Amino acid sequence: MTDKYLIEPDVNFIKEIVGLGGDSLKKCFQCATCSVVCPISPDTKPFPRKEMIAASWGLKDRLVNNLDIWLCHHCGDCTTMCPRGAKPGEVLAAIRSYAITDYAVPKAVGKWVNDPKMLPLIGFVVPVVIFLVLGLITGLLDFSPPLGEHGISHSMFFSSWLVDMIFVPLAGWVVVIFAMGLKRFINDIHENAVLEGKTNKKELEFGGLIKGLLRVLPTILKQDKFSECSENKDRDVAHWMVFLSFIGLFIVTNIFFIALYGLQLHGPYSQLNPVKWLANISGVALIIGSILMIKNRLAKTDQTSSYQDWYLIGLVLGLGVTGMFTEMSRLAGMAGVTYFMYFIHLVFVFNLFAFLPFSKLAHIVYRTVAMAYNEYSERQ
Amino acid sequence: MDKKYGVYICTGCGIGDALEIEELCEVPEEEGLPVKTHPFLCGTEGVELIKKDIEENGINTLVIAACSRRVNFDVFKFDGCIVDRVNLREQVVWSHPRSEFPALTEEQKDDEEHFDRLQMLAEDYLKMGMAKVEKVDLPEPYKLETFSKRILVIGGGITGISAALDAAKTGYEVTIVEKESSLGGYAAKVRKQLPIQDPYENLIPPVIGAKIKELEAYDNISVKTDTIVARIAGEPGDFTVTLKKPGEKIEYDVPYPLPEEMKFDENGKELDVEAQHKRYMEYNEGKLDILQIDPDGEKFGAVVLAAGWRPYKPEGDEFAHLGYGELPDVVTNHQFEEMAAKGKITTSDGKEAKSVVFIQSPGKGEDDADFKYGGSVTSMVALKQAKYVCEDYEDGKAYIFYQHMRTPGLLENFYISLQETEGIFLTKGEVIGVSKNGDGMIVEADNTLLGEKVKVKADMVVLATGMVPATVDDPVVNLAYRQGPAFRDIDLFEGYCDSNFICFPYETQRTGIYAAGAIRRSMTMEESIEDATGATLKAIQCIESVNRGVSVHPRSGDMTFPDFFMQRCTQCKRCTEECPFGALDDDETGTPKPNMTRCRRCGTCMGACPERIIGFADFNIDSVGSMVKAIGVPSEDDYDEPPFRIVGFVCENDAYPALDIAGLNRLSYSADVRFIPIRCLGSMNVIWIKDALAQGMDGAFLLGCKHGDDYQCHFVKGSELADVRMKKIGEALVSLALEEERVAQFEVAIDDYDKLPKMINDFVEMVEELGPNPFKGL
Repeated sequence: MTDKYLIEPDVNFIKEIVGLGGDSLKKCFQCATCSVVCPISPDTKPFPRKEMIAASWGLKDRLVNNLDIWLCHHCGDCTTMCPRGAKPGEVLAAIRSYAITDYAVPKAVGKWVNDPKMLPLIGFVVPVVIFLVLGLITGLLDFSPPLGEHGISHSMFFSSWLVDMIFVPLAGWVVVIFAMGLKRFINDIHENAVLEGKTNKKELEFGGLIKGLLRVLPTILKQDKFSECSENKDRDVAHWMVFLSFIGLFIVTNIFFIALYGLQLHGPYSQLNPVKWLANISGVALIIGSILMIKNRLAKTDQTSSYQDWYLIGLVLGLGVTGMFTEMSRLAGMAGVTYFMYFIHLVFVFNLFAFLPFSKLAHIVYRTVAMAYNEYSERQ
Repeated sequence: MDKKYGVYICTGCGIGDALEIEELCEVPEEEGLPVKTHPFLCGTEGVELIKKDIEENGINTLVIAACSRRVNFDVFKFDGCIVDRVNLREQVVWSHPRSEFPALTEEQKDDEEHFDRLQMLAEDYLKMGMAKVEKVDLPEPYKLETFSKRILVIGGGITGISAALDAAKTGYEVTIVEKESSLGGYAAKVRKQLPIQDPYENLIPPVIGAKIKELEAYDNISVKTDTIVARIAGEPGDFTVTLKKPGEKIEYDVPYPLPEEMKFDENGKELDVEAQHKRYMEYNEGKLDILQIDPDGEKFGAVVLAAGWRPYKPEGDEFAHLGYGELPDVVTNHQFEEMAAKGKITTSDGKEAKSVVFIQSPGKGEDDADFKYGGSVTSMVALKQAKYVCEDYEDGKAYIFYQHMRTPGLLENFYISLQETEGIFLTKGEVIGVSKNGDGMIVEADNTLLGEKVKVKADMVVLATGMVPATVDDPVVNLAYRQGPAFRDIDLFEGYCDSNFICFPYETQRTGIYAAGAIRRSMTMEESIEDATGATLKAIQCIESVNRGVSVHPRSGDMTFPDFFMQRCTQCKRCTEECPFGALDDDETGTPKPNMTRCRRCGTCMGACPERIIGFADFNIDSVGSMVKAIGVPSEDDYDEPPFRIVGFVCENDAYPALDIAGLNRLSYSADVRFIPIRCLGSMNVIWIKDALAQGMDGAFLLGCKHGDDYQCHFVKGSELADVRMKKIGEALVSLALEEERVAQFEVAIDDYDKLPKMINDFVEMVEELGPNPFKGL
């Protein structure tokens, strides 16, 4: 690159990153220990050294659109080895957090999701009100439901129609928001990669990008990158459990969706059904995985965990726990308890769906795309 | 002193195993000297043996053949006795193992074919020790007739004031002279200063006010403002100082030496001494000769030079590529500080300067050096001034482009706290240029940590120019020394008046004058305060050493001093000119006038003197010459193939210890070389080499320190002068039909011990190829 780059530090960006858990970013003195110790940083144009100086100079336009922040899996090796306590791992996590809200529209939602003060309102009041209002207007919510043909049936209390009336459009909203964000994101990371000389590909070809995605898919599924981490070795088990249980539950949900609308088979389904096995194993794995995550985070006193981290872990644990409780109380025949648990469970699911593009969970999309792009770009 | 000799041979540490001690004892016995051996001479019993001899038999001249003189020097120290140490351990048995230098069998002993190189080496060293003690005397201290303990501090800035306080606290009387009308120097002109104590994180208000106030508490400090030094005459312990107002012309203004070209007449012939003196007086019209002592002058024992610095003035278009001189908002750090001290930082047209770029290295693609006369202080000042920008404007931005960010000691904490300031941006980088851009400027840099060429907008650009020591512009000390009023050869150090920055801080090339603060190198106020303590302690060391009649440094405590046999002086002035410390003045006839307390006892004068009239009680032409003569030179009369003999004159500061370390590490080298330690290669008189060669020795070499602009010589110029003399001796050898290569000089550092064996063996081999000295056996 021969053109000179006019640098205009954005002090507000620095302040925001500091607020998002990157409060140590200005401590970096550019020794590059981080890039050396990072087990997953590429050999060419390695991170996070260059991201650290860009962050301390407030160069937002070099970070938010930089695919490298997504290649980082927050192993924490850099943070542990940093001689200045600049915590590159945490700084990159904060930048990712900033990038997620930057790419997701409407921005206001992003702001709310990442503001702990807004949690009771948007995380609880909003879904509850929507459930109640829609349920009462349509009459699909029955507070004294009769027993179904197989005993307690949640759909008698909270109709499947009502569930789908809420969550199908929500799923659509997630897709639309991600689509809008990704369009910008992919163009941005490509443009940045060209500018920084990370790729020789002048024009972005989507076909190639898809091929790249297919090539990295096994890596993603096996969580290979995570297992290269040394400092947070234990983290990879927890993350892998949660990750696979989400995939399991995604499959289960889709199968039951087809069973319900395609085959007209109403739940609850038999515990002997292999799909139910998958659901139960995934649910247990989700709970164990998220508890392990909490344990790991609490054990690492030298690494900071931000609100975004806790929100996501709380959400995952809540999903698992309420889900399992709902099922167990149903099997125990405790109607009141199980209906209440189901309602709460749906509140968690609402959080998961509605705020997916705005919360830390969005990394599932951005990191995947970034890894696919990196694979495609033939990094220089 | 009636000498009564005693020779003591230690047989411990492997000496007795390797050598034929009985044969060795025969060496002194043949001379009629009593000899005793002991297996553990440095132990209580061994020392008692010697002490008993001293007490009961009146022995007062001892030759102790044992370990190196560099060890056990305190054990083998006997008051009132002459002691010489013969190094049988490190330089004989440890460095010449019997496996390589085998002993003779009974049959071999008396044939004319075989000889025991190691035994010969030990016997030669013993003979040399015996020869030396015969020629040396016990030293007596040199006492001054008049003596002052007062300390003169030149410069009333933070360094000078700190030095005065330190000296006053230890009870010495101090006078501070300051050329300005008030005390404080630059320290009084800054907005804020760098931290000087824990936690070293934040800028602090200047401490100079409190320091000036503290002066008042001491009535042994007197302050003279608006005063400079006209001349400092005399010598440490007895300086006579004439003070004057700045700009005044008085007869005691120091005269300057005659420039070299004026020493010759129109035909290019050198003028005689008297004519030169006449010209010198004309050249310095209105000034009295240096030997004229001001009767009204003040007496001082030592001087602390704390004359400080001035801001660097860029010359012409030196920094044109950085816009200096052309763009009004490109300023030096000094100009920036002046502005900051007055109030808010603004551009030349009065606008707020919210974006300021600090440039630490001039760049221009030549090298990555900082601005001249810079250093850690210019790094620290940039950090300090960057903080001003953020203090003055909440949204102020300060950029520092550095090639080196030096944060000495705990000032690292300050760097850390500055780095975390949101509006301060640091990167290593090479600044290419500064150009105008609308109302502001654009600074371009390459190879930054940000990865590529970058541009930054600036309202103001600050160049980290350096602190020029006062000695660049002016001698300051105005010494009434024949060699001139200023320090010599300080252009080697860009004008900083240090004699050796690393080994001998504070010591200038003039004994009794100790430099502190920014005159020594660019430094922060904290460092200056610490420096002041160092220089003050040196000044006190000087005064007290002079008081006891011993050398100050680096031969601290040496009681000997050069003795001149003036009747034979030919007024050649070589001693006056070559003394690295300007210890000698001369009168209008050219007769040297030594000033003993200026002297550092290196012996350079002794090496220089063609008449060989200079010597020390324990080190003189005769003592070393006798050692040379004591070396046995076997010829064909003795053996069919006699061994070669080579003498090595060894600087005792670095080369001799390096030889000892080689021995300690059991590194072996030729046993045909005999080493003679000398005070400095500068004290090497060529007569010794001539004697050696005339005696039939096959070669001679000098082992000394590196010279040149990164010299390691304790006495600054010793090895350099030796080099010059060696070149001259080369010509003399050719006239004697001897090969020039027989005489050489090698540079060796103290840690080069592992290179010594090769150095020595290569030389021996080369001489062997030349063949034996044709004068051998004549």
